[in-house]
Amino acid sequence: MLGRLKYILFIVFIVSLWSCKEKVRRIPITDFFKTPEKSSYRISPDGKYVSYLKPYKDKQNLFIQSLADGKERMATSFDDYSIRSDYFWTYNNQLVFSQEIIDLDRYKMYTIDLATFKIHNILDQEKVKVSMLNRNRQRPDVITIKMNKRDPANFDIYRLNIKTGELVPYLINPGNITEWFPDADGKIRLVKSSDGVNETILYRPDDKTPFKPIIENNFKNSVKPVAFTGVKNNFYALSNVNRDKTALVEINAEDGKEQKTILGCNKADILYVEYSKNKHRVEFAAWEEAKPHKHFLIPDIESMYHSLQERPELKGNEIRVVDRDSAENRLILNTYTDRNPGSYYLYENNTGKLTKLGDINSSLRPGELCAMQPIAYKARDGLLINGYLTLPLGKRRTNLPVVIMPHGGPWSRDSWGYDEQVQFLANRGYAVFQVNYRGSNGYGKAFRSAGFKQVGGKIQDDITDGVNWLINQKIANPKKIAIFGGGFGGFSALYGVSFHPELYNCAVVQYGLINFFTFIKDAPPFFKPYLKMMYEMVGNPETDADQLRAISPVFHTDKIKVPLIIFQGAKDQRANISELNQFVRELRKRNVDVKYFLKPNERTYFRSEHTRMEMYSEIEKFLDYNMRVKP
Amino acid sequence: MPVHKNVYRKNFLLIIIFLVLISVTFVIALFVSYNLTAKYVENEFASKKIEVLEQTIKPYNDFFQNKVPEITSYQGFLDSASAAKYAASVFHDYAFVKKVIFYDVLIGSKTNITIRQNNLNISVKAIYQYWYQNDRVLGARQVEPADDSDFKDMAVKLSNYIAFSDTSRVSSQDELFKTYWDVKPDKISYTNILRREDIRIYRDMQQRNATAAYKQNMMTFYLDPYLLKVKNSHPELYQNVSIQPVVYDPIDSEGDKMITEASFPGAFSDYKLFFSSGQGYLANEINRRFMPIGAVVLLISLFLVLIGWLIYRNLNVNIKLFKLQYDFINNFTHEFKTPVSVIKIAGSNLRGDGELTERQRKHYGKILDEEADKLNDLMNKLLSFTQLENKSITLKKEEIDINDFVSRYTDTFKIKYPDFKLQCKVKGVRTFYADPVLLGSVFQNLIENAYKYSHPQKKELNINITQEKRNITFSFVDRGIGIPKHELNNIFKKFYRIENQYNQNGSVGLGLAFCKELVNFMDGEITVHSKVNEGSEFVVTLPYEN
Repeated sequence: MLGRLKYILFIVFIVSLWSCKEKVRRIPITDFFKTPEKSSYRISPDGKYVSYLKPYKDKQNLFIQSLADGKERMATSFDDYSIRSDYFWTYNNQLVFSQEIIDLDRYKMYTIDLATFKIHNILDQEKVKVSMLNRNRQRPDVITIKMNKRDPANFDIYRLNIKTGELVPYLINPGNITEWFPDADGKIRLVKSSDGVNETILYRPDDKTPFKPIIENNFKNSVKPVAFTGVKNNFYALSNVNRDKTALVEINAEDGKEQKTILGCNKADILYVEYSKNKHRVEFAAWEEAKPHKHFLIPDIESMYHSLQERPELKGNEIRVVDRDSAENRLILNTYTDRNPGSYYLYENNTGKLTKLGDINSSLRPGELCAMQPIAYKARDGLLINGYLTLPLGKRRTNLPVVIMPHGGPWSRDSWGYDEQVQFLANRGYAVFQVNYRGSNGYGKAFRSAGFKQVGGKIQDDITDGVNWLINQKIANPKKIAIFGGGFGGFSALYGVSFHPELYNCAVVQYGLINFFTFIKDAPPFFKPYLKMMYEMVGNPETDADQLRAISPVFHTDKIKVPLIIFQGAKDQRANISELNQFVRELRKRNVDVKYFLKPNERTYFRSEHTRMEMYSEIEKFLDYNMRVKP
Repeated sequence: MPVHKNVYRKNFLLIIIFLVLISVTFVIALFVSYNLTAKYVENEFASKKIEVLEQTIKPYNDFFQNKVPEITSYQGFLDSASAAKYAASVFHDYAFVKKVIFYDVLIGSKTNITIRQNNLNISVKAIYQYWYQNDRVLGARQVEPADDSDFKDMAVKLSNYIAFSDTSRVSSQDELFKTYWDVKPDKISYTNILRREDIRIYRDMQQRNATAAYKQNMMTFYLDPYLLKVKNSHPELYQNVSIQPVVYDPIDSEGDKMITEASFPGAFSDYKLFFSSGQGYLANEINRRFMPIGAVVLLISLFLVLIGWLIYRNLNVNIKLFKLQYDFINNFTHEFKTPVSVIKIAGSNLRGDGELTERQRKHYGKILDEEADKLNDLMNKLLSFTQLENKSITLKKEEIDINDFVSRYTDTFKIKYPDFKLQCKVKGVRTFYADPVLLGSVFQNLIENAYKYSHPQKKELNINITQEKRNITFSFVDRGIGIPKHELNNIFKKFYRIENQYNQNGSVGLGLAFCKELVNFMDGEITVHSKVNEGSEFVVTLPYEN
């Protein structure tokens, strides 16, 4: 009798305890980090087929779906090597795809016949890298490719006949050309050469005339050609020459002079433009402030995007067109939000019909994920720093455990959108703070160059100021702050725990940069301009040796006291594993709690799903212990 | 049948054997423990050298494992200035580093000192030397021709590694050590460890026969083993620890000394730590360690002897007790024998043939009655004494009027012994509580004794009763024969009688012992003062309860 009463009381207690807690389902790690099921959607130029890649026996294989009857068919069945995601349709409805035989260092290109599903090998080369540059509507059987067959260090341009496999050189690289911009006819009149830092844009009016330089820039400026406008020899380009923030401009290719500014934004760099090759027009330009923004240049396109965004299933979604048929009637859309990794849709412009093709990760429900809110704060010297804060679900808004995630680079940025690591941490109850410290991209030239020679200096101060801002806003529990980063972010984490030990509770480091001498060594000595850029942006290893030594964590093992977890792929070409081992050994000798995972078969990013899952479950355990269990 | 079989035995032989055995055990224990200690110390002398070696070599290991690999962290970007700083930190922390040679190396270009192998140039741009003098680090560029043999050895190894190492996997610790380190007697050369990316670039350069100038650092550290600080962590074992060449082997002067040695590792392998201690030095240590052991052995032996003695003493006491009881039975038998024989004579006379006169009959009746009383009295005494000893009687307290109580006894005795002068003085107290029977026994015994042990003309007794604070005191003062001083302690003992003419009959030596038991039983005490031939005073003190 008493036993039963006790039993009932126990159940009541458990139930009441359960109902007190806010119910946030712990989403399994595998759901966050698994490989997407279907990817790389393309549509055939006639708009009758949709193709995609899907794993078969763990290797990506090509699948084709007929839009007429909805039938799906596996087109290839490779079980040795995956099909590369850069496959494409030609204008006469042929699929061209390629495979890299990594063990033999071989490149194979195939075509597939839609009627018979027969595969033809059209290219088989050793020790080359190939990529498609252009396909031509007038001559659908001939594609333009770049390939480094002649000289491993330089790419030449070839014309490849996919029917016969005939390969004809078109442009031989004198040694410094890095980008080619084919015009609507497939002719290359505009190229970019680079010595690694300084870029020169060259132009020729036709194939017979030699290229002549029209614009020269150093690494602080950039001009990215988009396409010829069709008016005279003008071309569209994204340029920040003589302005702080990149704008969409029109440039005369004859003399390199800027004709007019089509669109500028005073808050951020214009990051990309959507250009329709069929209709030869720029549809919109996009930039990122707190959230992504689009400015439409074509009213039809604007109304199409607006009507799409009105649909209930796409409300609040960012929409991008991934591929389109020649008539620009059938479009493949990729949509995403901060709480949704994204889906693929087929949209028919004439009927307005929207069909879902698939989700990138169907195991996740947006309602269970967390919103990413843009924030901004003033750094100690008054500079406005932007960042993103993702709070965990639930009513609590203050005194939260926080994970600081400085991005890598350091010359890159965090953007608004879905991020699996952020969502994983937020689901586990941590607020996640991402910061675009000075030096980050997209905020203009001045902001970027403010980060020059400031690694471990003002860049780190911006992160520290952000943490203090979180504490002052009462969002963060000052005793429960972790710092988590990869590459340069890993450096920021190690530097943070070394020099601000009072601020951080623990650190998670993926392929961390522990030594700036190593970072600089990545600049080859014969690339003088690249070295110059490196010296200007980071520091000169000879004259600034003391400074670099002062900020490199490898020299300061005595300063680290908090627990660390470090992940490193042993095949990471740029990492000095023996140095890292020494670093960990030294830390352990000083009784620092270091968990170190050196994965023998991984490179910088962990490719194997198994090791990825292991990594995140270790991170989960590590954070849980240091941020919750430990007093 | 031997006569002494049932007699209590004192076997001196047994005691002697016991003592001899203990002594022998003691000596053997001392001997064995001393030898074991000596062996142990000698073993330690041979084994603890490892600890001294480890302590001494610790800075070298630290230098070898941590400080030297730090060069890798500079990724080849050390120049003469930063190398000088690095060298300064080396000199500061590691006193045994005598000199540092810094090779500013270029991979892929050609200078005066160039090793060309596997289609790759490895060359020296400049060689600097740093040394430590008067707390300052001095540096100088070496002018050609400089000693480049260290560099050449390293360059060949490095070149082979670049050309032939397996880049599909991470090189093992062993492979790295064999390539990037060169440990020779008294010097260590080290060059910064390359990343796999670097190897890839250099291989590419090799194949394309290109020239470039990738920086690489190499350092050679010249070490002086004699500058190592010997840390003798066991000074009690090693009188003298010194660093000696590995071939050092003294045979002449140190012959009588204990010696042992331990070789240095790595760059110091030409040297060893040489330990020596004089025999006397080790003997001291053996004695020091043996002291506590010896003390413990001694203590245990003493303890055994003590226990033996305690057993012996207990046995002795038991024997004495037995003897007392034996005497008591003897006495008692005598005491009983007298009245019994008188009764026997009276009985046989009564049974006799002749008619008895009235006077005779009365006489015999009186004798029988008196002797039976005596027997009864004896029995009572014995009985109550046993009861008292076993605490099996209870106090029956009642209010006593002192004058009445005392006069009852004085009157009786005056009648019994007409020549007895009895006087009693009572001061400041009339009544008190006590057990009248027990107190009566005390009075009776003390008065009887006073009469018995007095010269015929001096049979006097003064009884003084006073109240002092919480006590009531009864003092019995006589003018009797007194008690010799050395007997004073014994008179209260059971069965003890002073041998003299006054107690020839009618005494068993229980009287005073009985009194003492009674008084103690009533929570009081009894004391005695006495002088031979002048008299004695017995004082009974009882707690006064009203």
